[in-house]
Amino acid sequence: MRIKTVQKPDLSVDIGRLKLKNPVMVASGTFGYGREFEDFMALNRLGAVIPKGISLNPMPGNPPPRIFETNGGMINSIGLQNPGLRVFIKEKLPYLKELKTDLIINFFGNTQKEYVRLAGALDGVAGISALEMNVSCPNVKCGGIVFGSDPRMTCRLVSAVRKSTGLPLIVKLSPNVTDITATARGAEDGGADAVSLVNTFRAMAINIYSRKPELGNVIGGLSGPAIKPIAVRMVWEVYRAIKIPVIGIGGIMNGEDAIEFILAGASAVQIGTANLINPGAALEVAEGIKKYLLQAKVNRIRDLIGGFEI
Amino acid sequence: MAIQTDGIVLNNRRIKPLYFLLEMDCPAIADETKPGQFVMLRTSNDGRPLLRRPFSVYRSYPAHHPEKRKRGHLLILYKMVGQGTRKMAAFKKGEKVNLIGPLGNGFTLPPLPSSARTILIGGGVGMASLSPLNEPLRSGQLSVFIGGKTKDDILCENDFGGGKGSNIFIATEDGSRGKKGTVVTLFLSEMKRFDKNEPYHVYVCGPDEMVKALSKGIKSGKWTIQASMEARMGCGFGACWGCVLKTTDPQTPYQRVCQAGPVFNLREIVWE
Ligand SMILES: Cc1cc2nc3c(=O)[nH]c(=O)nc-3n(C[C@H](O)[C@H](O)[C@H](O)COP(=O)(O)OP(=O)(O)OC[C@H]3O[C@@H](n4cnc5c(N)ncnc54)[C@H](O)[C@@H]3O)c2cc1C
Ligand SMILES: Cc1cc2nc3c(=O)[nH]c(=O)nc-3n(C[C@H](O)[C@H](O)[C@H](O)COP(=O)(O)O)c2cc1C
Ligand code: FES
Repeated sequence: MRIKTVQKPDLSVDIGRLKLKNPVMVASGTFGYGREFEDFMALNRLGAVIPKGISLNPMPGNPPPRIFETNGGMINSIGLQNPGLRVFIKEKLPYLKELKTDLIINFFGNTQKEYVRLAGALDGVAGISALEMNVSCPNVKCGGIVFGSDPRMTCRLVSAVRKSTGLPLIVKLSPNVTDITATARGAEDGGADAVSLVNTFRAMAINIYSRKPELGNVIGGLSGPAIKPIAVRMVWEVYRAIKIPVIGIGGIMNGEDAIEFILAGASAVQIGTANLINPGAALEVAEGIKKYLLQAKVNRIRDLIGGFEI
Repeated sequence: MAIQTDGIVLNNRRIKPLYFLLEMDCPAIADETKPGQFVMLRTSNDGRPLLRRPFSVYRSYPAHHPEKRKRGHLLILYKMVGQGTRKMAAFKKGEKVNLIGPLGNGFTLPPLPSSARTILIGGGVGMASLSPLNEPLRSGQLSVFIGGKTKDDILCENDFGGGKGSNIFIATEDGSRGKKGTVVTLFLSEMKRFDKNEPYHVYVCGPDEMVKALSKGIKSGKWTIQASMEARMGCGFGACWGCVLKTTDPQTPYQRVCQAGPVFNLREIVWE
């Protein structure tokens, strides 16, 4: 008797040189340093882990309150609090590099020099699969204008970082620009292996009774389901504008949301805010993708990338 | 270890105009919870609200609890204040509620709880986190100060007593119960009852202004004062750094309330 085996869909994807076992990663800043999730999920089943962003020196972060919930989303002003590279390598990395999944280190600087030094320092560290540079930070040398808000500044920064590391380099784009394809091209021209988008949208909320800001820092970044349609549009625009792979981020809560990004052109996705609400969210997204592929009779996720028709 | 699991609603009833008592069957969390710990409760699955909400565990009955019928039960005492707690008020018997817990450090008990001198000071729903301390502390010398805006905000007064040395003091801001004024004013006016040179253990939970006023008012160096603090929480399990409180820690002033707390040594809190 012949038993008809159900084909297991192939979830593996390539982000340039980086090969992932599945397209679902966890977004920086929403997954702590990984360990916070070990009680709740099998971290090894993630496509990749991206811990909280690190800087060369410790950052104290912003004064509280740091989060405020809005319709379908949240505004955060964490202020990139982190213990700095040295403590990260000593205290956080040993756990992370034992994981049997790819580890992508998210980093940022206040000056181009800091970005370059960080990338160089991380280059030689065993257990790191790729780097993701957050360019949504103010350039203190240029009057605080955000690196990723200007295509030429993005390009210059990326090419400087490119020279200091042999690791695959992902540039995480800011959505707070008029034309995100311009900064995406800047990253591509600078030598990025991939771009990831989007980071949070600058936002604020006012308590009308106290007439005070809801966040200690007044302004924060909006994330969650509320931003998804804008993020999908940006992914699609960027997918058509550049040749390097695109990683989709923004309000993904389930497999269907992830498929939408992939159809718009994302080769992989990152789960952010959803991790906070449901620590197992990223694995449920991966399951949802598998289910969709089985139902749609698609054998390989990569066949779906950019597969949206007008 | 914290776990994510469903609690089954057994009972959800209004005990005061704005306060509710939610009783759930949730053995996995009930087994592990210590006084002062909390759970992150998913008030709705439709994204309104999106984030979980933190609640102190008001009672937990582990598997070995003498009251057989209560074993595995987990209780939350909550005040209806906004979208999430309004959704909770509509929870029906048999409904599943997703929980993550137990979370946070909880209170540290005195070395010899049954003979210690302890003072509890709670404002409004802050009493929910202090009430579980009655069990370990009631055989010692226990004084409880309960405050609220009106008589309808005085909670848990019947949870205490039963111990020989128990004393209860009540204050309301409008004077509708007990002494008129805040619980802090009441406590400070009674403070001479408590010898500054004795090692009192003081436990505090309430609005920030209340804890701050106490911090300014209590001068004794011999007392250990633990305060359970509130903060808006994104996750409750240490992942987002959204819940920080400024402390005297030289390396990392902004500590996560959900990890380093919610209970802090009062003297380590920096007030801005
Ligand atoms: C560790 C911890 C333990 C807690 N234990 C309890 C408890 O046992 N019982 C209980 O009733 N509440 C408790 N709280 C407070 C509770 O989490 C909030 O009341 C709840 O999140 C409000 O949700 P909501 O959606 O109804 O209100 P929202 O719509 O979010 O807010 C409505 C109003 O409540 C205020 N609010 C929201 N969150 C908080 C907060 N964390 N602290 C103070 N005010 C807030 C808002 O500023 C707003 O004015 C605890 C909080 C923490 C951090
Ligand atoms: C609490 C919080 C902290 C974040 N911290 C970082 C960070 O350190 N570095 C970074 O590149 N992005 C950070 N982000 C942005 C997320 O990685 C992600 O790009 C964004 O939240 C959009 O995805 P989402 O809607 O799925 O959350 C943070 C987001 C949140 C909510
Ligand atoms: S609530 Fe997320 S770290 Fe405390």
